[in-house]
Amino acid sequence: MCGIAGIFFKTQGSNQILGRALVDMLDGCQHRGPDSTGFALYEDGIEGLRLRFMVAEDDTAALDRIRAALAAHGATLRSEKREGATVVVDVDYSGEIRPFAYAMEHAAKLVSIGSTLDIIKDVGTSHQLDETYRVSEIRGSHGIGHVRLATESDVKPEAAHPFWATGFADVAIVHNGQITNYWKMRRRLEARGFEFRTDNDSELIAVYVADKLARGETLEQALEQSVDDLDGTFSFLVSTKDGIGFAKDRLAAKPMVMYEDDGLVAIASEEVSLNRLFPGKPLATTEPAPGTFRTWSRSI
Amino acid sequence: MVTIDLSTLPVRDANEAIRAAAAAGEDIEVVNPDARHHIGVGLVAPVTVHVKGSAGYFCAGLSHGARFEVESNVGWGVGDSMYAGSVVVGGNAGAIAGVALRGGEVVIKGNLGSRAGQVMKAGTLLCCGNASFLAGYMMYGGRIVILGDSGDRVGEDMSGGTIFVGGKVENLGSDAKVVEPTAEDLADIRAFLDRYGIAFGGTFKKIVNAGTKLRYGVNEPISRPLPHPVFSEGETYWNAKVVEDIHAKSLIGRYRIRGYGASKPLPHFGDIALKVDPARLTPTQDALDGVNLAMTLGDRHGAVPLKLSMPVLIAPMSYGALSKSTKMALARASRLAGIVENTGEGGMLPEERAEASQLIYQCLSGRLGWNIHDMLKADALEIYISQGAKPGLGGQLMAKKVTKELAAIRGIPEGIDLRSPSRHPDIMGADDLVIKVEEFREATGYTKPISIKMGAGRVRDDIKIAYKDGFDFVQLDGLQGSTGAASTEVLENVGIPTLAALQEALDGLKDIDAKNDMPIVMMGGIKDGVDAVKALALGASAVAMGTAAIIAGGCISCMQCHVGNCVVGIATQDPEHEARYQTEVQAQAIARFFEVVRRQIAMLTKALGHSDFQQLSRDDLVALTPEAAAITGLPYDPTYRAASAELLTKVA
Repeated sequence: MCGIAGIFFKTQGSNQILGRALVDMLDGCQHRGPDSTGFALYEDGIEGLRLRFMVAEDDTAALDRIRAALAAHGATLRSEKREGATVVVDVDYSGEIRPFAYAMEHAAKLVSIGSTLDIIKDVGTSHQLDETYRVSEIRGSHGIGHVRLATESDVKPEAAHPFWATGFADVAIVHNGQITNYWKMRRRLEARGFEFRTDNDSELIAVYVADKLARGETLEQALEQSVDDLDGTFSFLVSTKDGIGFAKDRLAAKPMVMYEDDGLVAIASEEVSLNRLFPGKPLATTEPAPGTFRTWSRSI
Repeated sequence: MVTIDLSTLPVRDANEAIRAAAAAGEDIEVVNPDARHHIGVGLVAPVTVHVKGSAGYFCAGLSHGARFEVESNVGWGVGDSMYAGSVVVGGNAGAIAGVALRGGEVVIKGNLGSRAGQVMKAGTLLCCGNASFLAGYMMYGGRIVILGDSGDRVGEDMSGGTIFVGGKVENLGSDAKVVEPTAEDLADIRAFLDRYGIAFGGTFKKIVNAGTKLRYGVNEPISRPLPHPVFSEGETYWNAKVVEDIHAKSLIGRYRIRGYGASKPLPHFGDIALKVDPARLTPTQDALDGVNLAMTLGDRHGAVPLKLSMPVLIAPMSYGALSKSTKMALARASRLAGIVENTGEGGMLPEERAEASQLIYQCLSGRLGWNIHDMLKADALEIYISQGAKPGLGGQLMAKKVTKELAAIRGIPEGIDLRSPSRHPDIMGADDLVIKVEEFREATGYTKPISIKMGAGRVRDDIKIAYKDGFDFVQLDGLQGSTGAASTEVLENVGIPTLAALQEALDGLKDIDAKNDMPIVMMGGIKDGVDAVKALALGASAVAMGTAAIIAGGCISCMQCHVGNCVVGIATQDPEHEARYQTEVQAQAIARFFEVVRRQIAMLTKALGHSDFQQLSRDDLVALTPEAAAITGLPYDPTYRAASAELLTKVA
């Protein structure tokens, strides 16, 4: 029950006003989800690998566990700092991501791992998060975001979106809707050794897509298959190191509007978010057709 | 011409300004709209509104007579429930353009989103581009003209109206067929296109209802009904009702329909006792002296609240299920008792409005009889999501009851077996619902309480949505709630009992620290003031009674409400049958019953040592059965059983 937004700058090199754009777009659809807000940002200037954890202010034991787990996996610490409800840890690490990620998960609540991806999510509105995490100052190439109205699960920072595809660096998802074959899909993935951190259906989509990417499929192929495999109502955005994509269910029960020009692609639940990027300008927007998907990526 | 700049003025203030300008006869120009929602919602004046850009959801919704011109795109639900007037959109329209259109003209120069014209009743929706899937879904009347292609399943379950497609018809929806357009049809369309300066050289395919699903095939056999008190006694394997049910199904080959609610033993308020000593109740006391029963309801967000002389409402029941005479008697009784009546589905009767001093106006999925004028006349608005008797299903009204007068107020074809949609066109989740609530507040100037009616399903989650989406109160209906018609399987087996529903709602609110911040009006088998006191003590803010009020007003509980031949003139639209109903006599009878309820609540409140019913608490209750204790968390104390029986005879 929520609103989603995503932006992809087409111009080569990044250094775009990514944070500012997403803060504004999410503020535009905050009415769809007042409980929590989140951003998955593909940032400039992350050195090494960035890990972000949810750690309570006084929980020094968790910090000790994180440091021990990092050392145990041969990751060297570059920096560690507290931001809001989270601790940001930049490390040098060159091993396999999945076992590393699961070990980190067992040390503390891990939000994301990425060489460019950084997920910032918390209870509160877009502007409130911007104050705490200075999101609008972040520059980068692309990103997705989410506002949430909690229905079945609690209002907690870790229940906010975006969801990182646990075990896969630099993959994130935001989702509006409800996956009705959640347990069936989850059991399939669990049988293949994947671990889930929440009962949230959006985490499932993230892992589902990332698994396909890891097996050598393109984002496009993964999204095409997702429209068949996932049951229920959904409009979701997925982001990887190189690009973003969307998929929409056949019932079109959840809205999605898109704007594209030479410089950027912007997608959101409602046009009102897109207009935040271009105040006062009528936009030639389109509504993706039901049961469709599309991707944009930076060709390397 | 008045210019309104939405980059500086919030939509709420802008709509006030639009109404003020329109009242002075001024045309309006809205600049910097930037796809904001609710522009011009509820406007009832013949002025022109130019929107210089894109509009968001429900642009021109609930309007009557205005002309809207939107330069660029519109979001979901453009022209929602519009009565007359026009909207011309230069770009594309999102989903459900022209939803529940009741008249007027909606012209989209670009493409149409999905489910265009869902549940529309009259008027014209024109699309110059292509339409997405399910155009004309469940439409009851009016005309959709698509110059481009029609998309998947056009005309799905339409029961009236026509769809003309100039381009390709991908495929037809269920119960739709293609016929030849008449010369008159084509001339009408041509004239319409000319009026809007739209050139089109092609031909049209005409799509109409195929008539295969408008009526149930075989009627149920007429048999002497078992009265409800017999029908609902205990459960044994092969009793008279089971045998009769199997016989009937072997004849008709489908599920059966009946009136009334669940009729099997379920944990209920009788399984809870009050911790009151019957000796403290003396018949010489003036029951009403020194105890407050009055309350207000619905001002959580600054609306003008309902004022109740006691914590009791009349449950929503429709004109349709019930005769006009019965609705009038209920309305009159509510006025005499100083409480609130509810329209139920199917619109507001002028006679009902005149009789009731306070009236809640219900909006259902089919938007039958839903319009801005009656919204403004109502004392509160209610969004019906579901009801206890049949959570998740739409209403049913059999053809016998769909008379000319009734069809006119609902805006539907006469004489069909009316099955209302099971969900709202524009409420697919909590995120859409919050926008819908906002639309209603914008349309009525934030003065009316807005409630949500819901059946007991996943109450613990649903109540949180109700809270977060900004409703003023919740009308919560348990499994024992009655209806005018539903399938027996659903009546008996879907939903959770009233007692459990109330407890789950309270637990849900506690989860989000909102326990005392969302009034719950509990209903579903509340029989009298004793049940009411128990519900209030458990945590309800008020209760609503439907079946009890109907019985007080002459119902004989035969459960044949759906048939339309009610022998006492209550559940019928047949003038001959309705003539048997004496409105004034029954209004007095219902009002007398409510006075007994009032005295019961007052006596028990006092006997429990309180001076105000709002002091009733869980400490006043015990559970008589282990089951009730498990559901409510009340202490299990069967020793109160004898006292409880004695008490009941004293307050009866």
